[in-house]
Amino acid sequence: MRDDLRTPEERAIPKLCGADIELSNCELTADQPGGTGFEASRRLLAQIDGFPERQRGLFDDSWPKASAAHYTDNKYGATCPAAEASAYNPQDVSRRFLAGNSSSCYIDLDHLEICTPEVRSAHDSVAACHAMLRVARAALKQANALRPQRRIRVLANNSDGLGNSYGSHVSFLISAHAYANILHRKPHYMQFLASFQIASIVLTGQGKVGAENGRPAVPYQISQRADFFEIMQGLQTTFNRPIVNSRDEALCGPWSAADWSTPARLHVIFFDNSLAHGSMLFRTGLMQLMLTLIELECVNPRLILDNPLKALLDYSHDATLQAAAPLIGGDEVTAVELQCAYLEEVKRQAAQGVFDGVVPRAGEIIALWEDTLNKLINRDLTSLAPRLDWIQKLMAIERAMDAHPTLDWNSPETKLIDHLYSSLDDDGVYFAYEASGFSERLVSDEEIEYFLNNPPVDTRAWTRAMLLRRAAAEGIGIDTVDWDRITFRMRGRSGWPVYRTVYLSDPLAFTQASAGPLFAAAANFDQLLDGLESLAADGAGATNLNTIHGTQKGTHYAFS
Amino acid sequence: MRFLDGFNHAQQNSPGSSGEPGSSERLNEARSEGDRMLAAADEVIRRALGSGNSQAFLRAGRQQSGQ
Repeated sequence: MRDDLRTPEERAIPKLCGADIELSNCELTADQPGGTGFEASRRLLAQIDGFPERQRGLFDDSWPKASAAHYTDNKYGATCPAAEASAYNPQDVSRRFLAGNSSSCYIDLDHLEICTPEVRSAHDSVAACHAMLRVARAALKQANALRPQRRIRVLANNSDGLGNSYGSHVSFLISAHAYANILHRKPHYMQFLASFQIASIVLTGQGKVGAENGRPAVPYQISQRADFFEIMQGLQTTFNRPIVNSRDEALCGPWSAADWSTPARLHVIFFDNSLAHGSMLFRTGLMQLMLTLIELECVNPRLILDNPLKALLDYSHDATLQAAAPLIGGDEVTAVELQCAYLEEVKRQAAQGVFDGVVPRAGEIIALWEDTLNKLINRDLTSLAPRLDWIQKLMAIERAMDAHPTLDWNSPETKLIDHLYSSLDDDGVYFAYEASGFSERLVSDEEIEYFLNNPPVDTRAWTRAMLLRRAAAEGIGIDTVDWDRITFRMRGRSGWPVYRTVYLSDPLAFTQASAGPLFAAAANFDQLLDGLESLAADGAGATNLNTIHGTQKGTHYAFS
Repeated sequence: MRFLDGFNHAQQNSPGSSGEPGSSERLNEARSEGDRMLAAADEVIRRALGSGNSQAFLRAGRQQSGQ
């Protein structure tokens, strides 16, 4: 059925999500004018094995050095003559997929970027993100062991304190109808979403010492990224950054204009990198809830900020949580008050069961959200430090100031502590808190370890990992890999190579339950690919696609 | 300027945070346990601050502007 012909109640689809963590990386012993990200990112990626294996040399000097100014968003429509001429994309260098957990790692503008596989639940997203941080930590240790004289530092933050920002993106599967409403049809939907995100920094922010990008000076602010957002909506991600990014790249197989049932991917560049489980869970879990409201067209226009970009700065620059910003109706609200209003909207819908089958463990997420907001209202920050990054970091800095009375907010040492909070090395403050038991754990070590070595079983990520493992075991060449397709290089009857591409178009399909029997039964690799193509063609790969008001509904997505 | 001092002061004076039997003892125990756990990070920070030139560290950390 055409997605635009469905009733709103039929449009909610499971909010599958993924996260991309762009890391700060440098060589500590080198002080080059342009930084050492080129060398550090390549030394780190060289320690991470993945597929395809045949790739251009990581340290090939003929590669131009990355430049956001010259290569910005070339893949997505912006003019980029140099990149077109060389077919070099500095935003996607040496991408490799890991057969262990179906994740992906690559270099994006001289940053090591680690990407979780597609997961269905926010709790799984937390476990998968921390699993990927362990991948990066292991790579860091190995790279430093190989060249201890040029020690690398890696930070999971979003700005270098020198005016350069880098992202932490989360992506969500949403209906094409909802995507079009947000970005093309109903501007107030975009404003509703943006206003939610802006107020959410009190839950998701990592905290930062000082201000950047020409913003007014401030001792400490709630968000790492707030200083860098300059417009409401746009395609670009590296300059003039938009709160709502319009990158329209579904990663759901070949695109067809005639097919309205293909879901979309909302690419969210707004949030900070997070480490604390609570901040991390809110980043994905609350977005799952909000996007479900938007899919169901339960949008309350009274919750829209009148001047969102100013509100973002005002909220972020006031760590006392007193700053108020006007809504379009004229009422002035603090970020916490606005979050409380959104919570009430969600609770009202939750009582109707709209999140059942769409947002796993929605009740737990809502309860944690409410508990956190109540503590913020009661100004009980002490008990929230283990849950929220910006408060945990603030506590670390203020304790250091108490211990070292010469430190103030302008001291370079204070900024250093800000950075070290997210260090993935042994000097990491967050990881010290985690090891001591101070940080609140919402997923267990066992769950993180699981996602370090295994793919999620309930998305296409499972089949991607199994295909990579089986091809490697059977000596089948893996030519190219992307989220929604893999091309294999097989030996033809004549001896010449034969290329065969399998599409994993539906992110919710090709699960262990649906594809597992094919792997068990296939006598050879060709048979396995035949089976997966049949699974795609008859839509049987799709499972548990739609549960609305407790009723299971199978939704057919487009397969190539 | 300390941000958390203001919050903690406000919290201590907020309704419901005092007057309940045993609440101050529980609060003190929690604070003591929290301090013990926080000390691990204090040590990490102490070592970092004592190990070198912070300004050089910050300069070396210059990044390419990313996404």
